[in-house]
Amino acid sequence: MSDENPSCPTPSGGEPTSTRSAAPMWIIVTTLVLLFLGGYYFDQHSGWFNPKVYAPYPNAEALGAYQPMSGDAAALARGKTVYESVCGICHGADGLGKPGQAPALAASELVITKGFNRLAHIPLAGLNGPIKVCGKDWSMAMAAMGAALPDDDLAAVLTYIRGAWGNKAGPVTGDDIKKIRAEIGKAPQVMTGDMMMKLPE
Amino acid sequence: MNQTANKSDCSGELEASLRVPLLALFGGAVIWLVVGLVLGLIAAIKFHAPEFLSACPLLTYGRVAPAANDAVLYGFCLPAGLGVMLWIFARLSQRPLALPVVPVVAAHLWHLGVLVGLGGILAGESTGHLWLEFPRAAAVLIFAAFLLVALSAAATFGWRRERNLYPSHWFLFAALLWFPWIYSTANLLLVSHTLPRGVVQPVIGWWFANNLIFVWLALMGIGTAFYFLPKIAGRSLASSGYALFGFLTLIFFGTWCGIPQSAPVPAWLPAASALGALLSVIPLLALALVAKKTVSGANVACLGGPFCFIKFGVLSFVLSGVLYVSQFCPRYSLILDFTWFGFGVTQWQLLGFAGMILMGAIYEILPKVMGQPLPFPKLARWNFFFFAGGVLLFVIPLLIGGVEQGMQWHDARVPFADASAVALKFLRVSTTGQLLVLLGSLCLLLNVFVMTIQWKLGLVKSVLAYLTSPLAASEVKP
Amino acid sequence: MKTGISIFIAAFVALGASWCGLVLAPSLQLGGAKETVVLQSADHWPQQRTGDATLGLQVYRASGCAACHTEQIRQTGVATEVTVTGLGAHQPDDFGAFVKSLFILPTLVEYTNAIAASLQGWHGELPRTLLTSANQQVVSEMANRLKAIGVKSETRIVPQGDDIIARGWGYRQSVAADYLYDQPVQLGGLRAGPDLSNIGVRMPDANWQWQHLYAPKSVVKTSTMPSFKFLFEVRPVGHVPSPDALKLAADFAPGPGLEVVPKPEARQLAAYLLSLKANVPLYEAPFTPVTAVK
Repeated sequence: MSDENPSCPTPSGGEPTSTRSAAPMWIIVTTLVLLFLGGYYFDQHSGWFNPKVYAPYPNAEALGAYQPMSGDAAALARGKTVYESVCGICHGADGLGKPGQAPALAASELVITKGFNRLAHIPLAGLNGPIKVCGKDWSMAMAAMGAALPDDDLAAVLTYIRGAWGNKAGPVTGDDIKKIRAEIGKAPQVMTGDMMMKLPE
Repeated sequence: MNQTANKSDCSGELEASLRVPLLALFGGAVIWLVVGLVLGLIAAIKFHAPEFLSACPLLTYGRVAPAANDAVLYGFCLPAGLGVMLWIFARLSQRPLALPVVPVVAAHLWHLGVLVGLGGILAGESTGHLWLEFPRAAAVLIFAAFLLVALSAAATFGWRRERNLYPSHWFLFAALLWFPWIYSTANLLLVSHTLPRGVVQPVIGWWFANNLIFVWLALMGIGTAFYFLPKIAGRSLASSGYALFGFLTLIFFGTWCGIPQSAPVPAWLPAASALGALLSVIPLLALALVAKKTVSGANVACLGGPFCFIKFGVLSFVLSGVLYVSQFCPRYSLILDFTWFGFGVTQWQLLGFAGMILMGAIYEILPKVMGQPLPFPKLARWNFFFFAGGVLLFVIPLLIGGVEQGMQWHDARVPFADASAVALKFLRVSTTGQLLVLLGSLCLLLNVFVMTIQWKLGLVKSVLAYLTSPLAASEVKP
Repeated sequence: MKTGISIFIAAFVALGASWCGLVLAPSLQLGGAKETVVLQSADHWPQQRTGDATLGLQVYRASGCAACHTEQIRQTGVATEVTVTGLGAHQPDDFGAFVKSLFILPTLVEYTNAIAASLQGWHGELPRTLLTSANQQVVSEMANRLKAIGVKSETRIVPQGDDIIARGWGYRQSVAADYLYDQPVQLGGLRAGPDLSNIGVRMPDANWQWQHLYAPKSVVKTSTMPSFKFLFEVRPVGHVPSPDALKLAADFAPGPGLEVVPKPEARQLAAYLLSLKANVPLYEAPFTPVTAVK
């Protein structure tokens, strides 16, 4: 413009210009790295758009673990906790048993019975082999691991065992355990396999 | 009359077309800046003497504090920014302002809107939404005024003589789109029709505030700085590649900040903001590099001149931006949220970044538009030193005090009142800073108003001279 | 970025994306929220406010109370704790010895110091919190062991965070459901004063609220809150003193023969403050109410 009209004073160097260049690689790479890190953070902390999940709960599962449970769900959760801290060490968290330690509980003919009198006797009185479980012979000893457990907890454990890993036997209540405990008496005698099989189912 | 005719087709015509619109926009803006800073000072004094002016319901802290913030943002930053944008658009287009009457009308609507809004807040008609306190009538006026200014700017842009785009174009053009969208969304949802229930209201408010204070101010301020820095330094803007990358990452990532990490909303919202904030470091870095490369080694003796203002503004943009973004880091937010830190960062953005750049631009533009030098160039330099020193003195104690306050809250043995008392010590220093900032803004007020009055007197004189002068021989009818 | 249209498209896409994410999506997800149910109860949450309290929110808004007060509680974590509520047949000493005997358990090793500290100087007072941990498994194992020896205990969910533990401002974090009936929602962003999410639980006396509004220093010596005298009327005492007259300390009272009574605005504001409660467990913010221990 000032070229066209030399009588005009040039307005301090005219309009600014810019030097052309491409965006350098390093800043693009940095952006991608930050995008990856931020994306990882989002994945871990966003609860994936669940309207019920608020920080500090990272996801719906973590929030669910803090919900107070009632009735059957509570008993089952209780049974799982007790099982894992008392029984699972030998019988395995998957209920498949451990060779040389303890027989399987999943699909075990001693577990999926209609009644649970024999089954309840095992943790209350203890068992000193030999028995046959799932076609295998076992000749091991189990102490009365459940004798110290409160009735409700032992019932919860047995309910859990009878319902988990594909087992489909009915639940056990605290009152049932109380009765069986009373039958056994204060000083339980460790059973042998034959003694147990003579008990009513 | 004859004088203007002689200047014919050079920048004289361009500048003349902007004279009245810019005076209207800048004049009111400068008044609102002073009003906002005075209100801010009143609010601050209440922390040292809680009973100061407490008998007057109009001036209770809860009304003065938001009024002060809104006066600076809506009264000064936005209209002054619009004025600077109009001027830059006209200059880059190399043609006079299109539809020059429209921005004059808009400026008056705008300032009327701010007046109504501030009056509404002080009278207790605030909407109760942060940064959207203006009652509906004020919001409508401001929105209409923005559209009018944007119309004039877009027309100037559309009819430009110089077809090549300059980086400032990207930023300023995006800013024109940004504000109507966010302001209409927020006001329609929160003020006109209160549709969403519950906590969605603050979510929309945070989205709006982030888009206005972080993104819009950045678009306007950096667009302005990228025009003036190379122009005053007499060089070209370094690496447009960085600038483009910074622009795109700013608008794509910066808009996702805003939801505080402690907000009572489902986790994905704060997590999205944390992600946006992390990525917003990139535009801060890229834009800082462009500014750095452009000015480093430039031999400009500024001593408080516009170049100083704008350099300070860009530095403030980067530093306040980093602090702003850090508030969305989940770990830091535990300490920083709800303290004076956030307030300090916002003031730095409003006054240290946007305010500084706009004042520098006004000092650079006004003499050109008016065709006469500043009446008090020394005061303009004092303005810089008062304002720069004042902003730092205002903001830095708030930042430190905020961190200190947050740490104390963490400690169960410290009663809440003691933790607040710690912050009060810092507030004392920061109030001194506010006083300096106010002094600086008075320098600007004096310059702008004396200039306006001189111009008006000149107009009156020329009209009188025209009326009283003997008729030229050629016009005498035989 | 060679043409205006390309800038327009870039800006449109960028802002449109964030508009969809931070305006549209939350509106769809939360904007139509309904009342929710309190955990382990048939009660609904939140409750509608009374007329006075609803008007009080408008006084709160107009006075800009949110400039200094927040209404949101932060929570940084959640812990489970086991609290002994009955020793059964045990004496404190042999119970202590039993607890020490558990220290060899691998799960409890890292908690031994904390457990020992919780029994320091304990002489059998109940209830006594034995173990607090973010790990639910550890706590439930401890509870099982206690149950096995016949000691009664409660396992409680305890939200963690400075607002809850250090400041005692709330029971759990604030969630969207708490604000369902607020119009406008007054979250606040600065804590120049304390959080008010549970002020109705913490200070349930309307007269206290009035005194605090009229002369903050009369009830909180260190307060930096300005007084809201304009919400009150000072008038001569009539034949019968007004039942709502403020019970002010002598330093702050207006003088003999005069009484301070709240104007309707002050009544409404106090009613609103008393309605501020976030003290029930919800699905998204579970905790065990303290009353359950007793």
